[in-house]
Amino acid sequence: MFKKFVVSTGVTAVAMAFSASSVFAACATDGMPDSMDGPDGYPARALTMIVPYGPAGGSGQVAQAMAEAVTGLTKVSINRDHKPGGSGTVGMTAFMASPADGYSVLEHIDDASSAHALDSGRPNPAEDLIPLVTSQITFSQIYIRTDEDRFTDWNSFVEWVKAQDGKASIANVSKEGSMERVTMKFITDATGMKIQQISFDKGAPRYGALAGGQVDALFEQPGDVRKFLDAGKFKPILTILKESPEAFADVPNLTDAGMDFEPLLRFRGFYVHKDAPADRVKWLQWAFQKAYCEESYQAYNESKFMTLIESYRDTAGSQELITNTIAQYRDVYKEMGLEVK
Amino acid sequence: MDVFALFLQGTVTLFSDPIGILIFFGGVVGGMLFGAIPGVSMLTLAAILLPFTAHLKPEHGIMLFSVIYCTGVYGGAITAILFNIPGAPENAPTAFDGYPMTQKGQAGKAVGAAVMCSALGGVVSCIIMMAATAPIADWAISAFGPPEIFALVFFGLAVAASVGAKTFWKGWLSILLGLLVAVVGLDPVGGIERYDFGMPYLLAGIHFIPVILGFFAVSEVFVQAEKKVTGAYKAPKISVDFPSFGELWAHKIAVVRSIIIGFFCGILPGIGATLAAFMGYNEAVRWSKDRMEFGKGKLEGVISSETANNAATGAAMIPLLALGLPGGALTAMMVGVFQMHDMEPGPLVFINSPDLVWVVFAAMFFANLSILFIGFLETKTIINLLRIPFQFLAPMILLLATVGAYAVRGLAVDVIAMFLAGVIGFFLRRSGYSVAGIVLGLILGKIGEQTFAQAMQMLYFEFGGFFGRPIALGLLIAGVLTLAGSIYGAFFKKQPQSQSQPQPQSQSVS
Repeated sequence: MFKKFVVSTGVTAVAMAFSASSVFAACATDGMPDSMDGPDGYPARALTMIVPYGPAGGSGQVAQAMAEAVTGLTKVSINRDHKPGGSGTVGMTAFMASPADGYSVLEHIDDASSAHALDSGRPNPAEDLIPLVTSQITFSQIYIRTDEDRFTDWNSFVEWVKAQDGKASIANVSKEGSMERVTMKFITDATGMKIQQISFDKGAPRYGALAGGQVDALFEQPGDVRKFLDAGKFKPILTILKESPEAFADVPNLTDAGMDFEPLLRFRGFYVHKDAPADRVKWLQWAFQKAYCEESYQAYNESKFMTLIESYRDTAGSQELITNTIAQYRDVYKEMGLEVK
Repeated sequence: MDVFALFLQGTVTLFSDPIGILIFFGGVVGGMLFGAIPGVSMLTLAAILLPFTAHLKPEHGIMLFSVIYCTGVYGGAITAILFNIPGAPENAPTAFDGYPMTQKGQAGKAVGAAVMCSALGGVVSCIIMMAATAPIADWAISAFGPPEIFALVFFGLAVAASVGAKTFWKGWLSILLGLLVAVVGLDPVGGIERYDFGMPYLLAGIHFIPVILGFFAVSEVFVQAEKKVTGAYKAPKISVDFPSFGELWAHKIAVVRSIIIGFFCGILPGIGATLAAFMGYNEAVRWSKDRMEFGKGKLEGVISSETANNAATGAAMIPLLALGLPGGALTAMMVGVFQMHDMEPGPLVFINSPDLVWVVFAAMFFANLSILFIGFLETKTIINLLRIPFQFLAPMILLLATVGAYAVRGLAVDVIAMFLAGVIGFFLRRSGYSVAGIVLGLILGKIGEQTFAQAMQMLYFEFGGFFGRPIALGLLIAGVLTLAGSIYGAFFKKQPQSQSQPQPQSQSVS
């Protein structure tokens, strides 16, 4: 038991050391000016940040961290307006209805890209909006309990699942077309295993399901289960990337496991209306991109394991990431037989 | 070191630090006030304070939130009793009997019972939390998965339908209407869009807080306004006569039962104090010899609801601290406080920060005790709000309810839903349907649908899987027996003219 705890904690320690080193490296926006005046007295009042999720989840937290960093840098207040519901649709709709005056910004995640891929009537974040910055990019892993004795690693897990003839389960957010469900399709196709996906839309019951033995495995991003890794309760058995990040060098990746598909990433970023005045957009781009390198924001990203792979994309980089993601989802949806509008 | 010694150590640490004492009492008073004011809640206060906790010591930040949690859950009982406006969803069942007591001139007795029972439920819950956090948390998440939670919800609905409305059929129709409203929006498992009629805002579903505000506060304003117009309005009598020890002692079994129910609901992630209060109330009705009196101003109704919701507070800290699993919105915000200090709640907190844990435990214990003392003082002043003439009070209630409905998600659709519920509630209340049943159907429907879908996935779509899970099976059998008993009663027993009616108030215009 103690050995398992040490091993698991060791993984976390390595991850922390790696992520800490990346913080001290030159930040992506170090070449940008330290200050910039807004055009014609802009912003004359507080900005409003629409967040399509609740305040306590990952989006709520990153919105708070970014808002504080921007305010610290520019002294401009940002009011966060949480509009949860409809898997981000409600917040997006509210944002699209707000004036394109540069005073409203939007936080959103890759769900906006997958939603557009499935239904082109929904806003394309790369074209209908201007990405200010993508500030969190992360990957997924598959976890088991550290005290699990039916299987201990990826290979034994796959063997065990196959032996159960479909009577094995994994907790994730398996809504139709979600990143989790698409990735699980890739994995089950590649391995030939059949596993029941149990959908939990909130983190706590999802993690509780694995901790309490209600499910056999968990699909999640490392930052969200960090406390369980720290506590030695969970351990990763597969990293869903082609190359392992240094922090999880001992955990097999897709290449090690003999799978050949393009991994889907989870990302969060900030946007403004495409029709907002160009000079205001330029100021917002500076403020949000520069805030990414603020000490407080970097510390937050580090605490969430968001520095294990490059989390930063500027406007052009974000547009490329979103466009590629949409194309990838669209191909997969067609292959899955979903109706792509 | 034993539990008592650790508790003493936490107490000394808490009260030897002037800043800690200040934060403790600030949290106690703030939680009570924000809990009591309709339209805002302890969550509002917590959201406002969240960024500032970064500048506090970790133990002060966590302690502040835990104290707000304890006193905020109690605070909502005051407005539920005095004005039929539950300060929070977990106080909704308190209004069923609390408001009729106010109408009968027994506001002091109802508030006094709420004070005593909230304190008692909270204190006992804290003691169990201190004694056995880790083993209880491990047991709860192992024994209670989606099949068991679904079975619990089924049992709750069966009980609720059996005691609601004027007839068995109206009770079930009320529950079913609530279940129907619960399915508006994205389905919780597959993300399928339902009943949105092309309106993106409806994808978020109908939230139960605006519905509660509509059914309870808005419809009550309509009812009283009609009485005012027709000359039937009578201002509630003011009284500050608290319940005697004998009256409370007579309900000792209800208190113990509600503590067990409240604690049990509190430890389940995602369930919490709201279900606890409804289940506590339902069980009180089910086991009572005077079922008919519930909803008409029965002290036991207030006692069972308020004991259960505060008993859930200590219990909710168990999965949070032992496993890092928040049970509801406020405990989820506590995770944010931990993270601001570069900490994560979970098993390592007990190893790395035992001082913090025991300061929080001590603070929650004393916060619940302080409800007893500060609650009585607060009550003596707040009851005088009843002296405000109706024509001034009604607009204030509507304004606060509107703000409260909008504040939930910042959506105008919630305000529309609230007023619609107000109008519908106005008519339903005079026709023998149970608005409490609708609210319960809405709240439990969302939990029940999600856990049923998860349970079926987990049981590989075989209903027989429930038979292999003893707790789920036991709860399902209890639910079926309750349902069968209700059907038997509806068909084979002579119906009285007016059955029990756990409504927001029983003096509806007839």
